[in-house]
Amino acid sequence: MATREEIAEAYADWRGRSNANERLKKMARGWDRVIHFRTTDTAEGFTVEVRDQQLSDLAFGPADRPDVIVTATSEDLCDMFWGDLNPSERYMTGEITLAGSQHDVMRIDAMTMVAFLDR
Amino acid sequence: MGSVDRECEVVVVGAGFAGLAAARRLAADGVDVVVVEARERVGGRSWTDTTAAGATVERGGQWIGPTQHRLQALADELGVVTFPTYTAGQAVEWRDGARHLYSGLVPTSDPAAAAEGVAAILDLDLAAFEVPLDAPWTAAGAADLDATTLGGWLTDHVGAPAARAVIDVAVKAVFGAEPAELSLLFALFYLHAGGGLTTLARTTGGAQERRFVGGSQQLAVGMAAALGDRVVLSAPVEAVDHGDDHVVVAARRSDGAGWRARARRAVVAMPPAVSAQLRWSPPLPGVRDQLSMRMPMGAVTKVHALYDRPFWRDDGLNGQLVSDEGALCSTFDDSPPDGSHGAIVGFVAGDDCRRLERLGPAARRQAVLAELGRAFGQQAAAPLELVEQHWPAEVHTRGGPVAICVPGTFGALGPALREPVGPIHWAGTETATEWCGYMEGALSSGERAAAEVSSALGRGGGHGDGHP
Repeated sequence: MATREEIAEAYADWRGRSNANERLKKMARGWDRVIHFRTTDTAEGFTVEVRDQQLSDLAFGPADRPDVIVTATSEDLCDMFWGDLNPSERYMTGEITLAGSQHDVMRIDAMTMVAFLDR
Repeated sequence: MGSVDRECEVVVVGAGFAGLAAARRLAADGVDVVVVEARERVGGRSWTDTTAAGATVERGGQWIGPTQHRLQALADELGVVTFPTYTAGQAVEWRDGARHLYSGLVPTSDPAAAAEGVAAILDLDLAAFEVPLDAPWTAAGAADLDATTLGGWLTDHVGAPAARAVIDVAVKAVFGAEPAELSLLFALFYLHAGGGLTTLARTTGGAQERRFVGGSQQLAVGMAAALGDRVVLSAPVEAVDHGDDHVVVAARRSDGAGWRARARRAVVAMPPAVSAQLRWSPPLPGVRDQLSMRMPMGAVTKVHALYDRPFWRDDGLNGQLVSDEGALCSTFDDSPPDGSHGAIVGFVAGDDCRRLERLGPAARRQAVLAELGRAFGQQAAAPLELVEQHWPAEVHTRGGPVAICVPGTFGALGPALREPVGPIHWAGTETATEWCGYMEGALSSGERAAAEVSSALGRGGGHGDGHP
């Protein structure tokens, strides 16, 4: 289990790398969305925004009408943020789930994979 | 007109999933329907067989995935249960003569190339979702999209050879064709109809998610059983005479005897390239005939290697292979649900399928076994049985898994896919707007054609505005 602080630290690393990644910036063009993360083991919730091809800082607490909801264990989220976990593996086993419109799910699925591969 | 063997209201040509679904729906509407089938079996491109050693193999379509609701409902109705495709462990990537293992959707031996591939597939799928399913030829820029190939698009959008190789493999496995053969407009439509290339390539969450215990053909057999003697087997239709309000189909039985059915309407449920071989009198309108001539079948050989046990699982492998060299472009674990024996199913597709056909069965077998050995270990090169289903040699289908559109066809002639010609209505998975090319699409196409016919005959179940 990962604490709030651990999640925030891992996310900050992911955000920094993602915001500097040209391929991800291109993939996020015109895709301004609110993404809510939910942990299954620690019942934590936090929200981030994609705006102008950049990830925002995270805000703990419930989200107001997110476009996409990502559900995973706190450990898997941290591992994904640190670049130690290929999220594609967890999507395929159903251990990480993505909820949202088909378009938005396709985007975040591809973008988190690219974030891992381009780490 | 001469004598006829069967008088009925509607004759359905082809007892694959599409034809049977049409007949079933028509029968439910109280229509007197007869299904004529060329083969001695029903199921069309779904064909569950038993090997000499007693193993069940799916020579044709075998998987069911999420959102294939008609197929699931039919399975539920017939009491056919499904089980998940085995996916635990790592997949094998064979690229540039070297073996790599990976987890997740795409091979990762060259991460930057894999990232480029994932980004390109997203671009492709997003473009696909812009193409309207019910009328792809009305898509923005349809003429330009139809004037180029998927291969051309990939050349423009994918630079890294490793990324291109992975996408090419997925395309070949999905279409049984090379990217260079496929109209971009058609390919985008097809991807949209199945939820995108990522969905079509996936096991869990995608088109290869689950399998049928006992095989998919049971669903066709179940539909046919309910139709009883309304299904006539071993009667290849050779000619169709049609007028404003009648159709006569003429078949040739295996004993050489002629067999004719006369009906008010017909549903032709076969791939366009097969319907084009019938003698039509009067000839079909130019647009329909031209379309049929320009929708070749894909080229695929489906290969099943059977072992005493699924030994690759001991090595942490899931039986999946993605390969840029040799015979097989992709494989999956095809073992029965209880793992009582081992089975790998693989696809030889596109140029490889044609090349190995020319070299002959022995050379193909050798190439397949060598590739299985490279991927899964020497034990894999010595299966107990190797069953090959070479679909281009099936005279009643002529290839597989689906008909494709070459450039310059779909945009101009696409509307003729479903447009009735007098009393002739068209079914078959190629005419589907959802899951085109799959069993789900075949079922929906049959139901759509049946609704057209019921409506034309003024029966229930149609669109409600039936006219005499």
